[in-house]
Amino acid sequence: MAEQQPARRVYDLAYGRAGDKGNIANVSVIARSAAAYAELREKLTAERVKAHLGSIVRGNVDRYALDNIEALNFVLYDALDGGATRSLRLDALGKSLAGAVLYMPVDPD
Amino acid sequence: MLRIGSAEGFYGDDVTRALPMIEGGHVDVVCFEALSELTLAILRRDQMRDPARGYTRDIEVIAERILPLAYARRIPLITNGGGLNPAGAAASVSKIAQRLGLRGLKVATVTGDDLLPRLGDLLAAGEPLSNIETGESLSLAGTPIVTANAYLGAFPIAEALRQGADIVITGRVADPCLYLAPMLHRFDWAADEWQRLASGIICGHLLECTGQVVGGNSLALLDEMSPAALAHPGYPIAEVDEDGSFVVTKTPDTAGRVSVTTVKEQLLYEMHDPAAYITPDVVADVTMLRLADDGPDRVRVTGVTGHPRTETLKVNIARLEGYSRELLFLLGWPAVWRKEEQLRGMLAEAWQGLPIKRVEYSHPGLDSLYGPLEPPPADPLELVVRVMLTADDQDTLKAAVRRAMALGLSGPAGMSVSGTSVGADPRYLLGLWPALVRRELVEPGIHIDIREVEGDGNG
Repeated sequence: MAEQQPARRVYDLAYGRAGDKGNIANVSVIARSAAAYAELREKLTAERVKAHLGSIVRGNVDRYALDNIEALNFVLYDALDGGATRSLRLDALGKSLAGAVLYMPVDPD
Repeated sequence: MLRIGSAEGFYGDDVTRALPMIEGGHVDVVCFEALSELTLAILRRDQMRDPARGYTRDIEVIAERILPLAYARRIPLITNGGGLNPAGAAASVSKIAQRLGLRGLKVATVTGDDLLPRLGDLLAAGEPLSNIETGESLSLAGTPIVTANAYLGAFPIAEALRQGADIVITGRVADPCLYLAPMLHRFDWAADEWQRLASGIICGHLLECTGQVVGGNSLALLDEMSPAALAHPGYPIAEVDEDGSFVVTKTPDTAGRVSVTTVKEQLLYEMHDPAAYITPDVVADVTMLRLADDGPDRVRVTGVTGHPRTETLKVNIARLEGYSRELLFLLGWPAVWRKEEQLRGMLAEAWQGLPIKRVEYSHPGLDSLYGPLEPPPADPLELVVRVMLTADDQDTLKAAVRRAMALGLSGPAGMSVSGTSVGADPRYLLGLWPALVRRELVEPGIHIDIREVEGDGNG
């Protein structure tokens, strides 16, 4: 039997940054190549990101595709425990949140 | 061409990074963006202790360290660090300028963003001030509202520049509009030249977080940015053409890096719909934008499109919601999960009868950033248990900490408590309430005031 390959993560194909506005976070996923962008655009749906993030994001996830700069932008609603001014999370601004998306496996189970 | 430097991206940034920009003759104007959603509430707390304050202390650093050189070279400075008290900030700047002998210097303020005294009137005028995230209507009943500020645009600042201001101090002006203002002044763009305004806004958006477009907070440049470069980056500069297109670059002969990747990272920072980046002056669309390498540390940005501005302005209302405390309990091997179970049960017993509102447990190092993305390890060597608790009043939290500490010698085996967490002050919890208000209810109240610094009176 062939040995199982380790799962490819989004970070293998992209980098990204998180930002906060009130209780809404956004995470950019910026592809490292045109081929990576095509693959992420197909596989990294808003529904999969929402399912992957689980209890971190209590609201909806919207996705915007920017073909011009080969990037996806995810908007995460109700994602910051009320926002930086009232969040009880250690990372109240959600600066680290991009990593949670980049940790996601590229391929669905 | 207009060259705009950016030397502040938050209250507490190193504003002296403006010096090499001005000393080297690399900029025509420098902007300082100081206000996050949290900042105004912090400034309100300062102002409650001393009514003369309510503005960012960085403004006094700007006046002492940067203004003399900028004034000598006729480089205007623009900042929203006036916060809740632009007039107080201007008085302080004028006093410093007078002491430094900057006779004739013109200090301008732009006010009219503070809607706190007018909330009742606005509700009576039929503005529901509904929360744009939840849809609820605003009620003035309940816990106190501490700030309510509309986001103003760039045109009043441009007018102050037209009247010869050497430093323009504002309250809540939308971050990228600080940077659009000198473009309006230089190029005389009309209020409906949407494409140019939008390009100027995106330029401001790319500059407004200073270090974040020159290699700071950059995953793309993870391997490239040395610790020294992260510690001493040269802050960004934009070279803007009359058609609104621009080059993002940085202070020459300094560390850091501007690349297509750093520009992409910052372009999408805090952006929602890339086809509708809403600001007071224009709705910008970056879905047709193009980025081109223009030499070392230079990226050319073209193709931003614009749509007419909205008929409303955003207003952020902050309300005091209570207080929180943080306690860190430290558990070592063996059997840390059993000990944590004992700790939780013990605290629940100890806190019975106290009006605590929320208690949240997390484990820094395991699940505090990403929640349960991975299952926790079965038998870790150490476990930090972070307990956050909230209440309407500080006395409840003090009592809760006292009761927890009283169990110090009867708790789980080997447990200790982080002393810094026990000694910390409670944190204020503020509920943010983003809403919309019709422009015509705010804009007539915008006021530009310009005062000239006189001699020291002794001469």
